[in-house]
Amino acid sequence: MSTTRAAPPGRTGRPPGGPRPATRMSWRDRLHRFDLRYVPYLLVAPFFLLFLVFGLFPLIYNGVVSLRHYRLDDPTLTGWAGFDNFARLFTDSDFWNALYNTLGIFVLSTVPQLFLALVLASLLNRKLRAQTWWRVGFLVPYVTPLVASTLVFGVFFSRDHGLANWALQTLGLGDPAAPIDWRASKPAAWTAIATMVNWKWIGYNALLYLAAMQSIPRDVYEASALDGAGAWRQLWRITVPMIQPVVIFTVVLSTIGGFQLFTEPMLFELNSQAATGGSNGEWQSIAQLIYKVGWKDLNLGYAAAMSWALFLIILVVAGFNSWLTSRFSGGRR
Amino acid sequence: MTPSWTRWARAIAVGAVSLTMVAACSGSSTRGGSDAGGQVTLRINFWGDFGLDQLKSRYEAANPNVRIVLNSGEYNAQHEDLQKKLVAGSGAADIAAIDEGFMVQFRSQSDNFVNLLDKGAASYESRYLPWKWKQSLSADGKTQIALGTDVGGLAMCYRTDLFAAAGLPTDRDQVSALWPTWDAFLEVGKDYTAKTGKKFIDSGTNLFNPILGQQPTGFYNEQDQLQMEGGPKVAFDYTVKALQAGISANLTSFQTDWNRGFTSGSFAALACPAWMLGHIKETAPSTEGKWDIAAIPGGGGNWGGSFLTIPKQSKHVDEAYKLLEWLIQPEQQIEVFKQVGNLPSQPALYADPAITEFTNPFFSDAPVGQIFPKMAQGLTPQYLGRRNGPTRVAVENVIGRVQNNTLKAEAAWAEAVKAAEKAATS
Repeated sequence: MSTTRAAPPGRTGRPPGGPRPATRMSWRDRLHRFDLRYVPYLLVAPFFLLFLVFGLFPLIYNGVVSLRHYRLDDPTLTGWAGFDNFARLFTDSDFWNALYNTLGIFVLSTVPQLFLALVLASLLNRKLRAQTWWRVGFLVPYVTPLVASTLVFGVFFSRDHGLANWALQTLGLGDPAAPIDWRASKPAAWTAIATMVNWKWIGYNALLYLAAMQSIPRDVYEASALDGAGAWRQLWRITVPMIQPVVIFTVVLSTIGGFQLFTEPMLFELNSQAATGGSNGEWQSIAQLIYKVGWKDLNLGYAAAMSWALFLIILVVAGFNSWLTSRFSGGRR
Repeated sequence: MTPSWTRWARAIAVGAVSLTMVAACSGSSTRGGSDAGGQVTLRINFWGDFGLDQLKSRYEAANPNVRIVLNSGEYNAQHEDLQKKLVAGSGAADIAAIDEGFMVQFRSQSDNFVNLLDKGAASYESRYLPWKWKQSLSADGKTQIALGTDVGGLAMCYRTDLFAAAGLPTDRDQVSALWPTWDAFLEVGKDYTAKTGKKFIDSGTNLFNPILGQQPTGFYNEQDQLQMEGGPKVAFDYTVKALQAGISANLTSFQTDWNRGFTSGSFAALACPAWMLGHIKETAPSTEGKWDIAAIPGGGGNWGGSFLTIPKQSKHVDEAYKLLEWLIQPEQQIEVFKQVGNLPSQPALYADPAITEFTNPFFSDAPVGQIFPKMAQGLTPQYLGRRNGPTRVAVENVIGRVQNNTLKAEAAWAEAVKAAEKAATS
């Protein structure tokens, strides 16, 4: 290898054409070399260190715990459990119920959320009065603290004095004699929670889409308009295929967020410390079940196994969704 | 040496440097414990109101080197926080309060707590109600992790104004005579609801828990086996009967609607352990003088009651024990009783005039100093199993399903057994 011979090892990073030190380097040169070679690593290191401490280590430790017996209320029970904790998942009706709830709420929230965000973004992409005001307005739900908004929604969706029932009755959709008990059935509870998620994330996704849309050249639209394409056709034939990377990004992101749903179901509960997601687990999400198993049933080994299962489920679903999205929004290639 | 190797070495070197930096940052933020000049800061974690505000300043005045930090939180959250700190190995308070309902859980981790017998607490055994002392004692009797503060002797609180409006007697003795048994109580409730169109009690679970507390056996026997056919069945059947009679407002305890109910009159009576008095006074100050306290149907009963522990993590075990010891002395316990109504767990105090003659002005001058001790004394408490908490939540959830009409009353018991069995093994 002629290049390695020409430049001694350890100095390969030096920019070509620089002045070669005659005998030994001055401290300025050393500083320069340090700046060039080491500072970039120093600058990226904090992220990786934090990831190591708060990301990778817990992940691995969690994996170890999931293979062990670990009960807080029974310190005598220790040792390796093998795959017992994982095997138990398959017969645990609570886990399947939580998975079912999570999927249901995920579909009810993600699909309308991304669809409405797309429509809103394309509306915002036109010439509007008070454009900045609208754009900032859409971001307000995103900056509202999650706990605060969820508590307000909890009151909004209450059985006896809730605004949701009042609004439905005013519109003639609800029966005043039998108000909807939002916490008594799966469809009602899922709708309520999906509403909270949608409210929070539509604006955020719309702004992401908007940013991507603004990089689409105008003349593409003009050309298609000349060919007689309407706004709707333009949206699906031009906009969506051209912002596809962002669409995939938001799909993956909302898949991860949707499967880790925790605060909303947790605070929707009247007695949130029970963490059962309704008296019959109507809206208990997986993350909430993990919390319950770990901190209420005090079975940390089993909770860790559930966390790993959730991790794998998210990987699979996010992969599937991004594949689906790229097929769906790809248009003609 | 190949170039790639040096690159790795470089990355590792940089990593090590940064790690030291991170460590240095975290090292400088150690928690304040003992300050310069022999100052000691003691943190006490508890929930609600333990009546400690005035005691704190009195103790600090007598012990100038001690500073006490009171940290009141939410009931469940405080227990969960303590559990997390015990797992993490640091961060727990110097004195941590634990409720009876969580005692079994923490007693089984007695390694994490200071054994108070080593500190000379054995001399206090004779002062306590025997069952209270035993609740926090390890199975082999060698480790005592806590000293008791209060017990939750049960009575029935009721709204005199609402009772008068329904044509019921308002005098506490006459009211007590109305319901010697729970069946009689149900009849009074039906009568009240029929006359006023309003609900009589707050919720089904607040019938279930006190009635279960009166039964000879709870969810578990002493071998920690679930036994639903005993006490739980009696309490559950009655609760369902009351729900079917439509006398319950079906509220969830300690929630907004329930708290609002104290003022708005959503319910006229509720089972009232001694510590509930402070809660009512705090949430519904405008109802002063509208409440009174009668005997609970079925006689006696206990609901809740707390303990104080010293986690081993404390850096000032000796100072903490000194404070703990001071707090459970009769003088302080009587003071707490007067402040917030928490009934001491040392029976000698029940004869103390400071308690027997104490009446509560908020509750129409009810002689609480006589009502509650009577309930606490003649009590044979149940064994609370290791899984008692989750089992109770599971059965309460089944009651909740009957309340919101998603479960038929006839099918409820079978469902409750199923839920309890699941909670017992989860």
